[in-house]
Parts: sequence; structure tokens; C-alpha cells
Amino acid sequence: MAGVSGEAKIAVDGVHKRFQSGSGVVEALRDVTFSVQEGEFVCIIGSSGAGKTTLFRIIAGLEEPTSGTVRLDGEPVDGPGTDRGMVFQEYGLFPWRTVLGNVTFGLEQRAMSGSARRERAREMIDLVGLGESKDSYPKELSGGMKQRVGIARALAVDPEILLMDEPFGSVDAQTKQRLHGELLDVWGETGKTVLFVTHDVDEAVTLADRVVVLTGSPGSVHEVVDVNLDRPRARTDDAFAEYESRLREAIE
Amino acid sequence: MGDTPFDEEQAGRRLFRGAVGTAAFLVIWQVAATPVPTFLLPTPVEVARAFVVELTAPAVFEVPIVGAEVGLTRLLVNLVDSLYHYIPGLVVGGTAGIAAGIAMGWSDLLNEAFTPIQRVLRPIPPLAWIAFAIVWLGVNHSGAAFIVGIGAFWVNFYNAYAGVEGVSQGSKEVAASLGVDDDITMIRKVVIPSATPEIMTGIRTSIGQGWMIVVAAELFGAPGIGFQIINAAQNLSLDVSVAYMFVISLVFLVSDGVFRRVERRVLVWRE
Repeated sequence: MAGVSGEAKIAVDGVHKRFQSGSGVVEALRDVTFSVQEGEFVCIIGSSGAGKTTLFRIIAGLEEPTSGTVRLDGEPVDGPGTDRGMVFQEYGLFPWRTVLGNVTFGLEQRAMSGSARRERAREMIDLVGLGESKDSYPKELSGGMKQRVGIARALAVDPEILLMDEPFGSVDAQTKQRLHGELLDVWGETGKTVLFVTHDVDEAVTLADRVVVLTGSPGSVHEVVDVNLDRPRARTDDAFAEYESRLREAIE
Repeated sequence: MGDTPFDEEQAGRRLFRGAVGTAAFLVIWQVAATPVPTFLLPTPVEVARAFVVELTAPAVFEVPIVGAEVGLTRLLVNLVDSLYHYIPGLVVGGTAGIAAGIAMGWSDLLNEAFTPIQRVLRPIPPLAWIAFAIVWLGVNHSGAAFIVGIGAFWVNFYNAYAGVEGVSQGSKEVAASLGVDDDITMIRKVVIPSATPEIMTGIRTSIGQGWMIVVAAELFGAPGIGFQIINAAQNLSLDVSVAYMFVISLVFLVSDGVFRRVERRVLVWRE
């Protein structure tokens, strides 16, 4: 699973994060270290307050760590970039753009002909099964459809890494299950490295090759659990349930 | 956005009640005004007659600067005169206001540098700038346009500024993650589209407010509808004054209606 160079795809090394808040300094993360290999699907779970989102934002380049480093293929992260496609819980779609317009957005920042952009965007929209709705505005879409657009938009610029922050936190259970299947299909097809933040243990066991468990406040890595289950995974399996209870205990 | 189609019955009832209310108003006005001389209170019939006379009486419009003469009617000449300062004032002042609002909403440096000045200047009513209009430009088209422009500037400045402030952090972060790494692209592709609803509100407000300022500015002597209202009153032709008051209302309703349609088109994406 290791990258060609033997270097980890994402290397988080000794990351600390402190915020200046009104009443003083709040420590969000303490000495967080872990790595993700190329093509791996890694979930970060943790109770609320364990700094999951802060960690996500640091890896995304939206915030800087107080100390420690995040390296991608050995290069330190310096701001957001198209090597990391981001998918947010609240979708972050541009409401003034249609589905197609949202997905072409990232492609417009590159030297590409309009028709090549549209072709690439259509491909991505088909990949997430939204071909019928490509001319709709976000207000016309359900939560699940919005998040499919979010994923298509992130994938359009062909990032090496997909960073997802509780992407299915706002959709109902049924839709969530279907999106899990679709995401795993997309992952299988594109071979991206996926880092997926969630507080849902069940979701982590369904999706991840490995689960990084963040606990405490400030958050630190409690343990890293390899999920050795064949896909597709059934919730009804005993082994599934074992992983689930083990992780549940870990975050309590 | 109030687009829910209400059933025909309700629409019919509304139309009926509206017609009855309007008719009652006109009848009361007519009855009340009949015993009173026209120069104190004209009747609706007299106003309608004056309107038709103004609308049809031939008059010549001298195109400013160019000097050419165009044959129109009295009402149209006055309307065109008003538009001659209304439109340039609105366009120039509005554009400047939107640009300044976006710049200050976007840049902390500009915001912090100019907020004190803006706080002090904003409460000054546009008409108070008549002093500069008179000294610099004279009481003419450019003087009136200057005052309309000041009014349009502030309304558009405020709305554009609020719109830019309201752009979600999330949208900017997504754009950055999709490769937007310079301010110009961010403003063009994220900030302006996202702030469009507020910018449109500003434009619409200034279209309405602009007419009020036009009339006020013309009271000082610039030619146009507002000047005609005063002029006719001074000649004791209050029927003509009132006819011109309705012209303003009509022009406002038409321009506001047209802009509403434009707005709905531009903002189809809005929830």
C-alpha cells in the first residue's frame, strides 16, 4: 500500500494547535501524529471536542498548526490546494451556480477549453449519478444530492486526496447508507487517498481501512485501528459488531 | 418569495376590492374638490384633463450639449429633462457605490482606513450637497445629477458592503481548495455572485430613491418634472402640478416593475 517513494501520502507529525480565545488560550490538539498511505481510506473518529474538525482544517491548509507539521508526499502543507479535494458537511455548494456550474468551477481555474471542462464535469456528474439534474440549482436538490455534487466538484480537478469532514452528517440514515456504497465505488474506481472525519463509529467501520481514534480535550491520538474486513461490509457480521464496540469504547 | 400561485377566486376578489377602493377614493376626492377652486384643490377630472393636455401639447426638446432640437410633447420634454440627470446620476453614483462597497467589504485595510470618513459623511442628506452642486456645477442637469449620484452612491455602497460581508467563509474556502489563489478571481467568481442579492436590492432602492432626489433637486431650478410641479403651482395651475405628481408615480412604478423582473431573472437561483 505504500507510495512509490515509500513516503506516506499524508504525514501528520507532532501537531499541536492552540487558539487564542476571549478568556485565554484553548488547546485543541496535542501532539497528533499519524500517517495515511497512498490509496488508503482512513477515518478519523472522536467525540465532540476532540479536535477532529481542527485537524481536518489543518490538513486542508485552512489553518496552521501551532507546532508540528503536515506533509503531503513529503512536502509541507502551505494553504489549501487542488491536490486535496474538500467535501464539507454543509456541502459548501455555490448556490448561484447550477450543478454543472459547481462542478466546472475548479476547472475554470485551469487553462482548458470550455468544451473540455464541460465534458470532464459531465463525466464526474455521471459518476455520482446526477446526470438528470445537471442544470438544477442547489436549492432544488435534496441533501444527499447536494453532497453528491460536492463530491463530483471535488473530484473534477482530479485531486490525489479527498478530504471529507462529516460529509454525510446532514442526510438521513437511508441516504447515508446509499452514499457509503457510492463513495466506496468512486474510491475503487479512482484510487484516491481518502481521509474522512466522522463521529459515527458505524460509518467508520463501514468505510475505513484504518481508523484514527482521537480522544480527550485537547485531542490526541488514542489508538489507530486496522479494520480487517472484506468489502462490502455487513453491519450484521459479528466481526463488524466487534470493531464497532471496540471503537465505541475507545472514544468514550 | 411570494410566488405561490393563489387561486383565481382570491385574485378576483382582490381585483374587485381594489377597484372599489380606488373608485371610492376618486369619488370622495371629486366631491370634496368640486366646490373648491382649482388652485387650492383640483378635481380628479381636472387633473386627468391637465394630464392629457400636457401629454399631447407639442413642445421642443433641446438636447443639451449637442444642441439639436427634437419635437416632443410638454410632458415628454419634462420627463426627458428629468431623465437627463436621473440616469447619469444613478448610473455613475450607483456604480461608484457598488465598487466602493465591494472594496471596503473585501479589504480590511480600506475598511479600517475609510470607516471614520464614511461614518461622518453618510448621515448628510444628499440634498445638503446642493451647496457644492451650485458652486461647482450650477443648477442644471449636471448639478442635479450630482445630487442624485450622491444618494445612489450611499444606498448602493451599503448594500454591496453588507453583501460582501455576508459572503460565507465556506464558499471562499471551497474556492481556495479548487484553485482560486488571487483576490481578483475570488472577488469576480465568489464574492460578487454571492453578494448579488444585496447588490440588486441596493440598485432597486436607489431607483426609487433617485426619483425623490430628482424632484427635490429640481425644486432649486433644474428643468424637469419636479420643476414643473413647482412652476405650475406658482402659476396657480395645481391641476398641472398634480398631473406631474402622478407622472412621477407612474415612472417609478414602471421602472420598479421592470427592475423586479430583471431581479427575478438574475436571482433564479435564490431559495
